[in-house]
Amino acid sequence: MFENRAVGLALTLPAAIFAAALFLVPVGILLSEAFRIDGSWSIGAYIDFFSSARNRTVFLRTLKLGAFVAGVSAIVGYAAAFVIVSLPPTSRGRIFGLVTLPLMISPVARTYAWLVILGRTGFVNQILVNLGITDTPFRILFSETAVFIGLLQLFMPLMIISLVSAMENMPKDAVPAARILGANWFQVFWRVILALTREGLVIGGTLVFTGSMTAYITPAILGGSKVLMLETLLYQRVTVANDFVSASVIAMILIVMSFSANLLLKRIATARKSR
Amino acid sequence: MSDFVLLENLTLAYGKTIAVEALNLSINQGELITLLGPSGCGKTTTMRAIAGLMPLRGGKVWIDGQDVSRIPPSKRQVGLVFQSYALFPHLSVFENVAFGLRLRSEPNLKQAVMDGLEMVGLAEFADRHPTDLSGGQQQRVALARSVVMKPKVLLLDEPLSNLDARLRLDMRTELQRLQKDTGITMVFVTHDQSEALALADKIVLMRDGAIEQIGTPEQIYSAPVSGFAADFVGFETILPDGKGGGQAWRPGAVVLGQGPYNGTVRGASFAGERREYVLDSKIGVVKADVSVAHPAFEIGQTVDFDLPPETAVQLARVD
Ligand SMILES: Nc1ncnc2c1ncn2[C@@H]1O[C@H](COP(=O)(O)OP(=O)(O)OP(=O)(O)O)[C@@H](O)[C@H]1O
Ligand SMILES: [Mg+2]
Repeated sequence: MFENRAVGLALTLPAAIFAAALFLVPVGILLSEAFRIDGSWSIGAYIDFFSSARNRTVFLRTLKLGAFVAGVSAIVGYAAAFVIVSLPPTSRGRIFGLVTLPLMISPVARTYAWLVILGRTGFVNQILVNLGITDTPFRILFSETAVFIGLLQLFMPLMIISLVSAMENMPKDAVPAARILGANWFQVFWRVILALTREGLVIGGTLVFTGSMTAYITPAILGGSKVLMLETLLYQRVTVANDFVSASVIAMILIVMSFSANLLLKRIATARKSR
Repeated sequence: MSDFVLLENLTLAYGKTIAVEALNLSINQGELITLLGPSGCGKTTTMRAIAGLMPLRGGKVWIDGQDVSRIPPSKRQVGLVFQSYALFPHLSVFENVAFGLRLRSEPNLKQAVMDGLEMVGLAEFADRHPTDLSGGQQQRVALARSVVMKPKVLLLDEPLSNLDARLRLDMRTELQRLQKDTGITMVFVTHDQSEALALADKIVLMRDGAIEQIGTPEQIYSAPVSGFAADFVGFETILPDGKGGGQAWRPGAVVLGQGPYNGTVRGASFAGERREYVLDSKIGVVKADVSVAHPAFEIGQTVDFDLPPETAVQLARVD
């Protein structure tokens, strides 16, 4: 596009300097913090972090919730996306708008709505009590279940969007063709739909998993200090304990987990494709 | 076996749009019938209903003596070559053709697939991906994929539309041979009347979601029942008799340069051996073609013409 590369380089330089100075350098300093103990390089901070049972619980919980939210989003997402792409264009637009609506509402407002719904005197418990399923209201809030529900609602739209666009790119009659060749719905899903929407699943899966792992507001409000996740633990270490070393360790773990999730999903997708 | 495929009062709709209404059709075993008709008349919709891909708004579909109206497409033993091919882009040509055979654990899979590819002349393309093939080649893979399943009924939705003239003729002959060899019942959709005439045992002419006329190619070609049917097989000049019926002429039967009628030349085109004219006249639009040996007429010129009764076809309806 540019006549010579120097011009192109010169034009991108300000942005590059800006990014380096204000983002990469501080992140680099923060991350290297945990590798330096008394002036020498060491991974001691990481060993310390994982030797605490509480930290391990938080780490595993974060991993588990991220995986569950991504998994359930994928299952619900496939069903929703399949329905959405089979609708006529006008109602497709409407439903699609409804699905993406949560993305346009502030996460704080959305999460407080769950407080109202899931609370002791909330909507869900009222129904359960009125139906006689329980006498005493369930404690749903400040549990992993509450965090799971909140994260699922927050990130499922991303999965649905990814899968809808992947399905829209499938050849129009691929599914009916498979049906006629004798495939039942299960076989249609495995051999055709999944095979043709892998990229969408990888993108959606990465977004949902990474998003769930790094969300702060939802676990903070719905989980509280009882159900800590890495992100809320990080915040707590910094604000309560002024412990920047742990914060740095957690930040590094989150980065590594995000990248690994993406690589892993990509690997799975390409492995199945080349078969 | 007569009534091998039977469509009984079939009504099909997309939401509020009725695409096919109260259609009755019987197809004998081993017959090759063509569904002929203009774009949007409901040919594809009817095929989808036979295959089970379309919920029935009304009526029934019978195949081989069984009411299949509620049987899913995977259990109907019907083959369908889609207008859009619908190949699986993630699978090789070989795997595309093998798709259905694998699902039913065909013992001689490799042989069956290669025979199918041989039939459509694509054996050497087995390892390619469909995206690396031309439109015509993709269409032939789609044909092979359906044929290897040995379905009870093979539905073909304009399977030759993307082939060049030569290949089209080859494939047409190949299809006819296949049909005679295997005795498979075929329903072939086209909007090309010459293709329909050449292939069919029986032609079903459709119009706006209903059947206009059913007959042998000879009947359809020489004895159309209505103005619509006449126009479709080339009787392009229609003279109503004022009582609902009328007569129709092919362009070659219209005599130009003499006769009791006259009209103004609106269009003229050279077509090799003959010149084609469109005339506006008091009795309506007249389409004529005459040998190039005759002197040419100019656009705008007023020309006398005749519609000889002995070359006309009698129509029960002119609409
Ligand atoms: N998915 C759809 N949603 C709504 N209407 C449809 C749909 N598919 C077809 N139709 C309508 O149903 C009618 C019949 O369509 P169909 O596809 O059966 O026509 P066709 O005879 O196969 O035409 P062509 O020769 O162009 O393929 C048309 O009026 C069409 O507009
Ligand atoms: Mg069609």
